[in-house]
Amino acid sequence: MEIKAKILEKLQNVLDPELGINVVDLGLIYKIEVKDGTAFILMTLTTPGCPLHDSIAGGVKRALRDIEGIQDVKSKSLGIRLGPLIE
Amino acid sequence: MTANHTYETNIRIPFSFIIFGLLAFFLSQILLFLSTRQLSTGEMRLPVVLSAVHLLVIGFALMTAMGAMYQLVPVVFLTPIWNESFAFIQMVVTSLGILSFSISLAFNIQMAIFSGLLLTCGIVMFLWQMFMTLKKQKKRTVITLFVGTALICLLLTIGLGLTLAYHFWSVRQLIDHDLIFKAHILLGFSGWFTLLIFGFSYKMVPMFSLAHHFSMNTARYVYIFYISGLVLTFISFITANDRLLSAGLQLMAVGYGLFAYHMFAILKKRMKKKLDKPFLFALLAIVFGVILHIAAAGFSFESEIHSRIFSIIIYCYLFGWIVLSIISYLYKIVPFLWWTHRYSKKIGKEAVPTLKQMINEKWIVMECCLFVASLIGMIAALASSSTGLFYLAQGGMVLFSGLFACTIGSVLLK
Repeated sequence: MEIKAKILEKLQNVLDPELGINVVDLGLIYKIEVKDGTAFILMTLTTPGCPLHDSIAGGVKRALRDIEGIQDVKSKSLGIRLGPLIE
Repeated sequence: MTANHTYETNIRIPFSFIIFGLLAFFLSQILLFLSTRQLSTGEMRLPVVLSAVHLLVIGFALMTAMGAMYQLVPVVFLTPIWNESFAFIQMVVTSLGILSFSISLAFNIQMAIFSGLLLTCGIVMFLWQMFMTLKKQKKRTVITLFVGTALICLLLTIGLGLTLAYHFWSVRQLIDHDLIFKAHILLGFSGWFTLLIFGFSYKMVPMFSLAHHFSMNTARYVYIFYISGLVLTFISFITANDRLLSAGLQLMAVGYGLFAYHMFAILKKRMKKKLDKPFLFALLAIVFGVILHIAAAGFSFESEIHSRIFSIIIYCYLFGWIVLSIISYLYKIVPFLWWTHRYSKKIGKEAVPTLKQMINEKWIVMECCLFVASLIGMIAALASSSTGLFYLAQGGMVLFSGLFACTIGSVLLK
């Protein structure tokens, strides 16, 4: 499996606890890049200054820790964009 | 991993304030239940009633608001709390101040000035903490204006409260006692609590409904109208001018109406279609607030303003707007705080519960319905001076305060 697909699969384990939906299905992941064993994740959160920022960002790091070939994870949060409509 | 911001406050700070608040709420409702005979005759200014009301307003509402601010200020203003150790000292001083002040009011009102000074120390420490924290905020917003003005009103409220306590101690009036009493209530309820709830609503309503791309333009008109109304009403107390009082209350009603309109305009832009139950009760509190502001403005046209009607409006304002807003948001904030403490380090590694699973929503709905039913019963009891109805409705409030504390406490077992 391609490494980006593996990352996406693992990120599906990171749930936004307020909504109970994972960050991938929420449309929070903008971009994934892997360079020299470091995964760069460009993502957003559901609301500006989200109080769950530290929790979710930490969750992304933990979720990707076990992927072979990934030694480090760096993420950056951007402005707001939501994917699917939230029921 | 590069974390852009750190918003998390030491969980023990908000929790210590909230737990004290829950106990004070329960105790205040029992004291009010025991004062039923006096209250049903419309007599509000009795030592035990003053004690119960201060336990509710300062012990529950103010302490909970302080605890919530220690958690919300870093999130809303993207600024960490200035000094966390100072927050613990402030909590201890304020708690001792509230307990001793409430006891003084009930048993020896003349000596309330001394416990009042201790309480003032605790509140001033909180104001200093907030001043030092907000000073560091890089980009000030309209929310800073609401919260900053609310904090100034809190300072004025405690100054007026101390003046009242001085009157009791010295048995002489520095300034007209009734004027100070009315201003104390106006600035405490509408100045401090309402402006604070306005300010944080601009963060929490979009956050809990996932609303984006809404305009904030109306907020400045909310501020201008509401503050103008507050100032005019305050001046009307000094000048004893009924027309000015009417004008002030009307401006406040316009400001509040604009706030309610703005909140529902924000909700129209939401992405979360099905709103959580506790949040719906916070919105119900806004509806109560609109009705009460219109009622206060409407009754101010009467040439002979009936103090009993205003007493009922003030009671409804405290319970229907301020207390209902606080309890509704507590049902959301406490699960979040405990979840962050217990599960934030486990997310992505193992299955963690959602915030909804941290608290029983069915119980929340039943409890909030009990609260609203008890409130309506209390209004009817106060209007009809029915002692039986008063016992029943206040019994409902006692039951609610106990269940509420248990439901919030049950989160800590998850």
